[in-house]
Amino acid sequence: MSGIELRSVTKVYGTGAAAYQALRGLDFTARPGEFVMLSGPSGSGKTTLLSIIGCVLSPTTGSVHLFGEDVSRRKESELPALRLSYIGFVFQGHKLLASLTARENIALPLELRGWSAREARTEAERLLARVGLGHRLEHRPADLSGGERQRVAIGRALAGSPPLILADEPTAALDATNGRNVTDLLRMLAKEHGHTVVVVTHDNRITSLADRVVHIEDGIIGELAA
Amino acid sequence: MRWRTMMRIALRMALHEKMKFAGAMVGVVFAVLLSNQQAATFLGLVNRNIMFVDNAGADIWIMPGATEILQPGKFLSTSPLDQARGTPGVAWAEPILFGSATVSLPQGGSEQVTLIGTRAPSWRGGPFNLVAGSADALTQPDAMIFEDSDRGKLGGLNLGSIREVNGRRTHVVGFTWGLVPLGPASYAFAEFDLARELMHSDADQFSFILVGAQPGADLQAIKRELQRRMSSERVATRAEFKRSLLNYTIFKTPIGIVLGSSSAVGLLVGFIMVALTMFSAVLDNLREFGTLKALGATTFDLVRLLWTQAAIYGALGAFVGVALVSQAASAARSAQLAMQLPPALLFGTLVVAIAMCIAASSLAVLRVRSVEPAMVFR
Repeated sequence: MSGIELRSVTKVYGTGAAAYQALRGLDFTARPGEFVMLSGPSGSGKTTLLSIIGCVLSPTTGSVHLFGEDVSRRKESELPALRLSYIGFVFQGHKLLASLTARENIALPLELRGWSAREARTEAERLLARVGLGHRLEHRPADLSGGERQRVAIGRALAGSPPLILADEPTAALDATNGRNVTDLLRMLAKEHGHTVVVVTHDNRITSLADRVVHIEDGIIGELAA
Repeated sequence: MRWRTMMRIALRMALHEKMKFAGAMVGVVFAVLLSNQQAATFLGLVNRNIMFVDNAGADIWIMPGATEILQPGKFLSTSPLDQARGTPGVAWAEPILFGSATVSLPQGGSEQVTLIGTRAPSWRGGPFNLVAGSADALTQPDAMIFEDSDRGKLGGLNLGSIREVNGRRTHVVGFTWGLVPLGPASYAFAEFDLARELMHSDADQFSFILVGAQPGADLQAIKRELQRRMSSERVATRAEFKRSLLNYTIFKTPIGIVLGSSSAVGLLVGFIMVALTMFSAVLDNLREFGTLKALGATTFDLVRLLWTQAAIYGALGAFVGVALVSQAASAARSAQLAMQLPPALLFGTLVVAIAMCIAASSLAVLRVRSVEPAMVFR
C-alpha cells in the first residue's frame, strides 16, 4: 500500500481569463518510510502539490489517496480531522505560536487530537528530548535560535506520531550545519520510525540525503533522481 | 477539551500582545466606567424617591387613583382609611399628608420643602434616618424636623432654630439625613395636625394611607380585597409602588433618556474600541491563525479562541471599571447624591461587558472564518 498516491491531479487557481493552472495531470506516490524531496523552480507547483498532499487544498481534478483513504473529494469541514489523523507539518520559517513555550507548541496538536493536557505535556517533553531540546521546554520561540525553532517545529510535526510528515523548505533559514542536522533528523524519522517524509526544498546541499528527488516544473513532474 | 485548549491559547495570545491587550482593556474599562457611573447615578436619583417608600414601613399603599409618584396631589377621604382598617389581614392603617410648604429665610427669600405629616405615636411614614432629635419631639407645639443637608440652604438651621413655614412660626427639633427626593424640595416632617394646619387641608383629607399587614398574611389577597372595596383609589404593594416610581422616572422624566443615552454612548465607544483592537490583532496574527488551521484546528476552534479573548477583555474590564466606579461613588457620596451600585448592577455589568466584547469580536470572527490554512505554505 502506498503512503501517498496522487493520480492525474490538476489544480487551477481562478477562473476565466485569470485562470492559472498550477498542476497539470500530475501523478505522485510515496511509500511508508520513504524520504522524498520535491525540487523545482519557484512557481513550478511544489507548494501546491504539498498543500494538496497536506489536505489544506483540494485538487481541481484527479484523486488523492493517503494510506489507502481517498481524501480528494472530502468536504472542507472534514479536512481538519484528516490533517490531524495523517499529517505533521514543518513549515517554512517554523511558524511556531509566539506566545506559547516550546512544550506548549508541541502539546497543541496533541490536545487538538483529544489528548488530556497532562498527557500532551508529558509527550511534548518526550518529543522535545527526542529533537535534542529537552532543556528548552519553557522557552518561547523568540528565545530560541533558528535551528532550535525548526527542531521544535519538527517535534510539533511528530506529535501524535502521524504517518506522514510534510516539510516546506525546512532548511531555508538555517546555516549549513543546522540545515544538515534538521535534514538528518527528518531522514531518521523516515528510516527508523517509518514516517513518510516529503520535503520541498531548493537546498542542493541536502538533496543527497533523500531516497528520491522529484523535480517539478510547470506543474508536471520533470525527472526523477535517485 | 477543545474549549479548554483554545481558552488557554486565547489567554496566552492576549497577554503576549501587551499593547493590544491594554488597548482593549482601556475600551472596556471606559465603557464600564461611563455606563456604570451613569447607571449608578440614575439608581441613586431613583432611590431618593424609592427610599421613602422603603422606610415608611407600609406593606401596602393606598393613594388617589392614577397616582404614579410620591408627590402631593388629590386628597383621600376618611372612607378608605376606615375600609382599610376593617379589611381582614390588615394589622394597621395610618394616613400621611404630603404637601409643599414655603420656608421663609432669616436673610430674606424663601425655600420650598415637601412637608410630610405623620401621626404619633407610631410615626408611620417618618421621620427616619434621624441624625439629631427624635420623632417624639414632633409632639411639641409647632415642632418640625428638617433635612440635615439643607441646613445651609434654609439659613443655617440648628436645633431650636425658628423658621416661618407657610406663614407660621415653627421651631426645629431634629434633622434627618439623605431624605432628598427628586426635585428641588427636600422632606420636612411635622406632626399630622400641624402639617394639616400648615397645608390648610381639612381634618378628613389624607395624601396616602399606609397599610401594614398581619404577620404571614397574603399581601396580594389583602391588596385585592382593598381594591375591591375602594374602586376609585389605587392600591399597590410596596414593590408595585416602587416599580411604578422607577418606571415613571425612566419613561416620564428626562433622567432616563439623558443617563440612558450616556450609558449607551459609553458602551458604543467601548464596543468600537474592542472591535477594532480584536480585528487588528487578528490581522496581525493571520499567519498564526492559518497555522492553527493547518495543524487541524477548525474555524469554530478559532471562534472559541476569539470569544474567550473577548470574555477575558469583558470580565477584566468590568472588574477594573467597577472598582473605579466604586471608588468614585464612595468619594462622591453625599446626602444630595448617593450613587447606587447594587449587586444586580455589578453582575449585570459583568454580563453586559462580556456580551459587548463577544459582539465586538464579530468582525474578527468574520475575518478568521476566511483564513485559509494553505496560506502557511506561501
